[in-house]
Amino acid sequence: MAMSSVTEHPAPADTAPAQRPPGLLRSVLSNQHVLLLVALAILVAYFTFRDSVFVSTPEIAVLLTNFASLILLAVGETFVIVSGGIDLSVGATCGFAGVVAAFAMRDLINAHQSETLVLIVGTIICAAIGIGIGLVNAALMNWARLVPFVATLATLGAASGLSLVLSGGVPIGSDSAALGIGADQIGPFPYMFLVVFAIVVISWLYLHLSRYGRYTYAVGSNAFAARAAGINVRRHLTSVYVLSGLLAGLTGMVFYIRLGAGAPTSGDGFELIAIAAVVIGGVSLFGGVGRLTGTILGALILTVVTSGLIISNVSPNWNQVAVAICIAAAASLQALRVLGRRQS
Amino acid sequence: MDHHRLARPKSARQGIAVLAIASAGLLAACSSSSPSSSTSTPASGGSKNITIAFNMGAEADPFFIAMNIGAEAEAKALGVTLIWQGNPSFYSPSTQIPIVDQLLAGHPSALIISPTDPSALQPAVNRAIGQGIPVVNVDTHVNDLSKVLSFITGNNQQGGATAADAMAAAMHYTSGHTYQVVVGASSATSTTDTARLAGFKAEIAAKYPGIKIVSEAYSQSQAAIANTNVNNWLTKYPNLKGIFAIDGTNATGASAALQSRGLVGKIALVGYDAYATNVALLQKHVFAALIAQQPGLEGKMAVADVVKYLRSGKSMAGIQHLVTLPNIVLTPSTPASVLAKYTYPTA
Repeated sequence: MAMSSVTEHPAPADTAPAQRPPGLLRSVLSNQHVLLLVALAILVAYFTFRDSVFVSTPEIAVLLTNFASLILLAVGETFVIVSGGIDLSVGATCGFAGVVAAFAMRDLINAHQSETLVLIVGTIICAAIGIGIGLVNAALMNWARLVPFVATLATLGAASGLSLVLSGGVPIGSDSAALGIGADQIGPFPYMFLVVFAIVVISWLYLHLSRYGRYTYAVGSNAFAARAAGINVRRHLTSVYVLSGLLAGLTGMVFYIRLGAGAPTSGDGFELIAIAAVVIGGVSLFGGVGRLTGTILGALILTVVTSGLIISNVSPNWNQVAVAICIAAAASLQALRVLGRRQS
Repeated sequence: MDHHRLARPKSARQGIAVLAIASAGLLAACSSSSPSSSTSTPASGGSKNITIAFNMGAEADPFFIAMNIGAEAEAKALGVTLIWQGNPSFYSPSTQIPIVDQLLAGHPSALIISPTDPSALQPAVNRAIGQGIPVVNVDTHVNDLSKVLSFITGNNQQGGATAADAMAAAMHYTSGHTYQVVVGASSATSTTDTARLAGFKAEIAAKYPGIKIVSEAYSQSQAAIANTNVNNWLTKYPNLKGIFAIDGTNATGASAALQSRGLVGKIALVGYDAYATNVALLQKHVFAALIAQQPGLEGKMAVADVVKYLRSGKSMAGIQHLVTLPNIVLTPSTPASVLAKYTYPTA
């Protein structure tokens, strides 16, 4: 936790003349965002070279829809990881929220309610369930004294088990109107993506420009110091896990609109994809370090790889290998950068 | 994660409260969720109570839920006790073996098992037979079936071949034309998927040379991933004529993609498993055909075999060693009564 970006030490005066000013190349190479953008550009160029349909309007819509299914989980995870924790329950939360909301939405559809009302009620239920699971996570940590890994592992199991119990393993509902709304788009931008992107922008403002965000970094850098500075650490962490749960619940709604049904296993394993996006984006698992723009780039890279491998007709088993390479490369870059900073 | 070291437990009361809540939750979970074990009153005929242990891979799979309902009904009709146990969601030998060991420790009258791996579950089956517990295999089997009472299964290879026929019919296949089709599977290691795909490919090679499988992808049992796969295919192959969705998750993902892109009726989607939602979509012509298995009948026949064997003084008379139930093809023109018969019941 010594590698907090908040506490940059000024270089001692006597060593300063010996240092050459960092070259342009070096400062560019040490910027993870630049590297991620380069990696993204190379991937897009490669997949376009394999099949030019990759940059066509319908394919971009596919990519953005897929991105919308991942980014909210990754944004919530970014807040949690910056605060020094981890949330393993996000994938299961989105499946559970989707199933419960799907039951209610099915009843409303059977009662011939308008699709707008159906989706609004579904969204509210998904959000409420996400918040509820976030509160359970916080209670397990604050009250039963579990570490985040264990607390969220417990809610992961409970949520994914309950969605199987409730649904009997089958998708709930068959909402073709929702599928139509999911496909509506302006140019290459699906409406659903635009809504999700607006939430991402608000989250970015929240994390990087508000006091709430600064507190999150402070707690993740050093909880002792944060407490000494007067931050209510427990209450802050509660709100961070509630936010992560809320975004996971909303992702349950994204899945519902994509599938026209609440599928009990949707979201299973997505926590690891979300964490991968966060790590690729340069957020430190030790807390206190990272930018949301990195997470966005990380999620984009993962989305591009997933679709690109299918478009270029590569065996789908390579997907996991490709993601593994991205994670290893991003994490080692980060480690090298820290090492470089210490040496200079 | 420093903040957790800051936490000071207020008192032992808090610990006791945690324990109390946890145990209350566990008790609630155990008492509420028991479609898994049922005790029926023994029939008058039995000199001693018959208890049948039924063990499978992933208990919450709709396929096994339907099997449970069939087996349960037969057990009730015959007046025997059925213990239904399996890992809720993991289909793997490492989670199945401890459960079957636990079941055998209770000395059931018989064991019906759907092994997740033909080799890994063989020792458990051998041990049961060694203890004089008769064993029936259902749906999947262990390598050595010589001492197993009977093996009742669906024919996945035949199901795959039927899917090819149904797809060709829906595309109005005429020789001389080329038809691009894709296959959405669950994973590279699922044996049922492999059997279905083998049957599908063999039938195409034999009867429909114009059908070209241009791509295959895996859903990892995730409807959303299946949906992404199909959406990508639809942009890559604008002339796509058919999709074989080899399992339930692929059926969900593919049917959503066709509906959201307004391609219903333009692409022949053949899916697996007659969930109620899928059957409803079949009636709306989203699916050109659905291939249904007969899990309820498999479960019923397995229980019937065991009870017959035990009640007849362990005679093999009237018990068929290998029963292969065909996969059934359902189309939008299938009569509603037949659709209802093959739709998987839900608990």
